[in-house]
Amino acid sequence: MFKPFHDVVTSVSRTILEHEKNLGRPVIGVMPAYFPMELIWAAGGYPVQLWGNNLPLEKSDAYLQAYCCSVARSVLELEMRGLAPMVKAYAFTSLCDTLINLREIYRRIFAKPTIELSIPITRTVAARQGYLRSVVQSAVENLEKITGKKITPETLSEAAQLYGRTRALQRALYQIRRENPGVMKNHDFYTAMKTGFFLPADVYNQMLEDLLKGLQTRPVPEGKRPKLLLSGMVFDPLEIYAIFDELGADIVDDDFANGWRTVSKENLQVDNLTDGITEFLFNPAPCCCIYNPDNDRHPYLLNKVKESGADGVLFWYIKFCEPDAFDRPQLMKRLKQEGTPVAFADLELSMSNFDAIKTRISAFCEILEG
Amino acid sequence: MTEFAAFKKMKELLTNYYFEAKTTQEKPIAWITSGAPVEFLYAMDIIPVYPENYAAMCAANHQSIELMEAAEAEGFSQDICAYARTDFGADIRQGGPAAGLPPPHFLLCSTNICKTVIKWYEVIARKYDVPLFIVDTPFLHDGLTPELIDYTVSQLKDLENFLADFTGKPFDRERFIEVLALSREAADYWLKMLNLAKNIPSPFNSLDTFIHLGPIVTLRGTRECVDYYKLLYEEVAERVANKLASVPGEKYRVLWDNLPVWFKMRDLEKFFEKHKTTLVVTTYANSWGGYGSYSLDSIDEIYKSVAISYLSPYINTGFEERIKYLAQLIDEFSLTGFIMHSNRSCKPYSVGMYRLQEELSKRTGKPGVIIEADQNDPRAYSDAQVETRLEAFIESMTGIN
Repeated sequence: MFKPFHDVVTSVSRTILEHEKNLGRPVIGVMPAYFPMELIWAAGGYPVQLWGNNLPLEKSDAYLQAYCCSVARSVLELEMRGLAPMVKAYAFTSLCDTLINLREIYRRIFAKPTIELSIPITRTVAARQGYLRSVVQSAVENLEKITGKKITPETLSEAAQLYGRTRALQRALYQIRRENPGVMKNHDFYTAMKTGFFLPADVYNQMLEDLLKGLQTRPVPEGKRPKLLLSGMVFDPLEIYAIFDELGADIVDDDFANGWRTVSKENLQVDNLTDGITEFLFNPAPCCCIYNPDNDRHPYLLNKVKESGADGVLFWYIKFCEPDAFDRPQLMKRLKQEGTPVAFADLELSMSNFDAIKTRISAFCEILEG
Repeated sequence: MTEFAAFKKMKELLTNYYFEAKTTQEKPIAWITSGAPVEFLYAMDIIPVYPENYAAMCAANHQSIELMEAAEAEGFSQDICAYARTDFGADIRQGGPAAGLPPPHFLLCSTNICKTVIKWYEVIARKYDVPLFIVDTPFLHDGLTPELIDYTVSQLKDLENFLADFTGKPFDRERFIEVLALSREAADYWLKMLNLAKNIPSPFNSLDTFIHLGPIVTLRGTRECVDYYKLLYEEVAERVANKLASVPGEKYRVLWDNLPVWFKMRDLEKFFEKHKTTLVVTTYANSWGGYGSYSLDSIDEIYKSVAISYLSPYINTGFEERIKYLAQLIDEFSLTGFIMHSNRSCKPYSVGMYRLQEELSKRTGKPGVIIEADQNDPRAYSDAQVETRLEAFIESMTGIN
């Protein structure tokens, strides 16, 4: 049932090249996080999401220090090695200091165009609206230059439907997982999620629809198994999910930037694009990278634990991600105060030895099992 | 350090400043980032307290490790900014030279130095349950635009409303303009003083400026600050007139990019002196000279110029601007090379530095070196590694005589 998803994730370049050829759309590499794919599709582009990879870091060290996160380093490695020839341009958001400067590095060492959606985090609403309007306009114009096509109300509406449908189907998958822990392997679930980074939305949507139908009749494992909620920026490395599967632990929900924080977003409202993108950026799930005290992560996560029935929360920390690292101690403390067991694992996307993380996950699962 | 008579005055000023902040019963306390528009606070008689400044003091006093360890024991990762960790630790232990900072009534933060400060101040806001006002100043990838200026002006006007609500009294615009004038005057003296290093030999070195920037950070907008920098300027000008060198026999003149290594100031000074090398100019100390361009002509112009000043710190600008600026400094200060501090605690300053070094060397023909270190964490510093790199760099420079 999950084989088509695994096939995509194990042959990303070939998959993208095939679809690029079929679609005749320029591939736009989308950096973390929250750049609306809808804009790229509406402008005639083919967005693929770059959340890092596990390439050994050889060339990127020439431009990024070891204290930069492995997401930034591995994405740069990909381009420096010439492994992303199909990517014609890169789309950034102003998510963090590293990504802001990474865009500057790209502008100086590569010829490929870059665009940025600068995320205004002021609480001065009128200022935010005015500035975001200009940001969106500039992003749209730059995208149109790259693709050579205009965004029209029709293409925008079509894109909003398409990607809105993707997230709705993904939400359905999350719901099945939440309500039927163990119905699918953790590794299969995140492979299905990751597949969406690389496929055209209509192709991916069809795969998800088939999957959802198939899952309806799937049995759920018996017996008490620990139920976890994971929180972090990026759900990779995928290899670790096999460890959860091996241990008989079920991830019932998550709070990943490239997981639920994105999946939870409703259809992009395109009638007023500035308002639509504001809503898209700030709601409904809070993110450590986007200041928004109206949507506090503490009650949000407590509620999520309650609703998912998770026995504990594992913080999934990609090393050197400052926004995530700053939030974690207070969040862990609060969850503990409320009686939720917590643990954290620090990870690098390029890691190849999973023994230590296995020990840590195993110990946490034992605690959860009581 | 170069001996300045003004140093005593500065110590007195900063002692008084911390004493007032620690003991006041009447004035509200705001914790504020080094790049935030402090003039609005002084206009409303609010005492600004600078966690960054305090963290630097802790490191210069060799107290940062124990404080960072206290923060790390509460779960704060060694990956996060060492200033933040030092301050979290100082707050937990009530440690450091002033036995901790006075608790804040609210927080004011600007993103022009990094986005990390948002996270840092969110932690404080939650701990103390106090309001946080953020002046968001987006990164200038392609320079200033009318939209960026409008965005910032609009937030500054909202800051006035916030302060009026907080203090329960109307925002005092008249006083604000007076404060801006004082801020401008102090920044002017500061910049004029820094520019005296264009003289050969340089009358001071950049390690001196790191010490003497305390008042321009904390007291910018006060009469005392102006008086102090006037005094310092006059003293340095006299050294120039008397051709007094900071480093006797000055042979090499170099730029320092990024924050200082606060816990290594003395050692580095001795090292550079031994090698007849003067650190002549820094992008860091120069940043506070940028507040000398406020227009006081009309209300609209005032807000616009304040917005521009706070949008434009060096590290909030794109790499093309940075390279142009660095090349200009190399030329104007007759430099023989440049040092870049790859600072584990400051990503906006450091990420991309390897590329900047390549391009700057190519553009100016001057050698440059990158040292791997940290502004506040001695555990991320290797004497042997840094000195070996600096020695090789010094050998690669052509001296001025």
